[in-house]
Amino acid sequence: MKTTRIGEIIETMSTGFVAQSFKLNRPPPLGSLVLVRLPAETAESSASMDLYAVVTYGRTVGLDPSRRAVRRSTDTVFDQAIYQEHPELNRTLRTEFGAMLVGFAADGLVQQHLPSQPPPLHFSVQETPIEEVRRFTHRLHYLRLLLMDSGEVSPLQVLAANVRQVYHQRGHDRVWLDAAAREIATLLKNDHQALLTVLYAIDPAESRPRLEDGRTTHLLGGGEQI
Amino acid sequence: MPLKLEPISRQVDSMAQEIVDLSPAQEQFLEQARARLRSVSADALRQKLAQQRRQQIRIPWLVATPRGSLSGTTPAPSPPSDFCVIGSDASSIPPDRHSSIRYYVLNVGYALLTYGSHPDALLEATGQLCFRDEDLYVFSDKRDVPIQGVRLGARMEVESLRILQQVVGTVSRPTLALCDGPLILWTLQNETKKVRQAMLHAFLEAMALLRQAGVPLAGYISYTNARDVANSLRVWLCHTRPNEECERCDSDDRDLCLALAKIRDRDLFAFLAAGERSELFSSSSQILEEYGEHRADFFYLNVGGEIARIEVPQWVGSDAELLDFLHAAIYDQCRRSPCFPPYPPALLEAHEQAVITAAERRLVEEMVERALGQLGRRVVRSAKDDSKRRRGV
Repeated sequence: MKTTRIGEIIETMSTGFVAQSFKLNRPPPLGSLVLVRLPAETAESSASMDLYAVVTYGRTVGLDPSRRAVRRSTDTVFDQAIYQEHPELNRTLRTEFGAMLVGFAADGLVQQHLPSQPPPLHFSVQETPIEEVRRFTHRLHYLRLLLMDSGEVSPLQVLAANVRQVYHQRGHDRVWLDAAAREIATLLKNDHQALLTVLYAIDPAESRPRLEDGRTTHLLGGGEQI
Repeated sequence: MPLKLEPISRQVDSMAQEIVDLSPAQEQFLEQARARLRSVSADALRQKLAQQRRQQIRIPWLVATPRGSLSGTTPAPSPPSDFCVIGSDASSIPPDRHSSIRYYVLNVGYALLTYGSHPDALLEATGQLCFRDEDLYVFSDKRDVPIQGVRLGARMEVESLRILQQVVGTVSRPTLALCDGPLILWTLQNETKKVRQAMLHAFLEAMALLRQAGVPLAGYISYTNARDVANSLRVWLCHTRPNEECERCDSDDRDLCLALAKIRDRDLFAFLAAGERSELFSSSSQILEEYGEHRADFFYLNVGGEIARIEVPQWVGSDAELLDFLHAAIYDQCRRSPCFPPYPPALLEAHEQAVITAAERRLVEEMVERALGQLGRRVVRSAKDDSKRRRGV
């Protein structure tokens, strides 16, 4: 299956990794599912293995940690034009993203728990093809892994971002979304505020124009007065 | 024990007070000096300097001979739409005399920046461990004149220029080659003629190749301390032998002459507007006698926040087209600078490539010790160095 390389792992651990994005200022979307393919000789099993991870943050900083970015804009040069005027920025800045491991596929089976080994340093991170996104997200156990604190962005926002991404990639599969909402409701049954935070963040109605009568259909169920 | 700050603090207060007290008088003399810059005939000054040279009157300072007028200015032309700037810089881990192993490390960095329709950047560095006799000595056959101190500094300048010359060969559009620091390697002045010539050989060869490629070269000196032009004004004001009979001097210009000894060219030329350059001047530095056709002149340029000294070979200074491009490209570099006062990004990035951190210095030392250790040889350090490292109490 054809994939696109989007970054290289520069820090790795059992729970996830940090990768340097190949595109400056364009890390993969928050919550998206990314992939690290391990050939047989590097995988824990004798067969090849695909590791899946969810993007938990993205940031752009100076390549050298001791060099902070400084203002470059003028009255006439700003935004994208800054990169034309200062071509060295493409070599002195870097965009990196963090990803949390949520499972792997080996011997034709998808597992939704942490692999026994972290992915090797300097290996490629790839976009996950739509068919693999569908296959991996068929089951929803991986969502509970996203509730672990990833340190940068709130786990609730990462969880919501992942559900939005997958819903979109699965062709606005409402059945899947409802199942995901139920899974999240189970996971957060003891924290009502956190549950509402996630449900509002994944509710497609929140990003749709309101109905003329000011009412809309919510994931939370039924109609709700705005 | 740490530095005792109490007496230092009192002395700092005194120093600050003296600087402030002297400022109004210095400002007054500075204005007078600038007025002389405008009024003195460049022709007459050239004649006086030439006459003193003919009469072998010793001038104890470096002086500048104007190639045009003294106070003439030229605004910055516009740079072409597509062009490149390549800057280079070098740093080193010098030989350690406290170690039984003699070597040094050179790291030469460069930044090739492309502007216009296809903006791009290439930032690179080439590290080199120098441990063979041909690297350690100016004359390797006799193991004579070690490369260290001033000579290591000159070697870094040579390598900076050589990398510029190597990289411009890969570029097809108009390109400016920029060195961090002077082209006039005056630090070699105290070396013997044979050493000077041996060290300058590769430097001048690289200049010749740049000339052949039609690439203008400049040495960029930020916040210059030079006084060449101020010294020339002193020679102009002096009616006897410069710096010899100042006590007995009864000239009306005596106070101005003595004040000029404290005035730097960067203050003298502070009247330049942003982007403007002065006319070209020739330096009297003795080392230039070795430069032949690559003899370097200089001008001052207001880069938009400070007066920089720009040194250029005469083949650049005498070619109006090359000089205009060089002037435009340097000012454009400073316009693109992310800092204030501005500094050319090509040099800033070259420096970042060249710099060797303290951790990297330790790492190289450890690598050498490990490599020798694996072969059963221990690196011996002097007792003095060892005691400083241990710092036992």
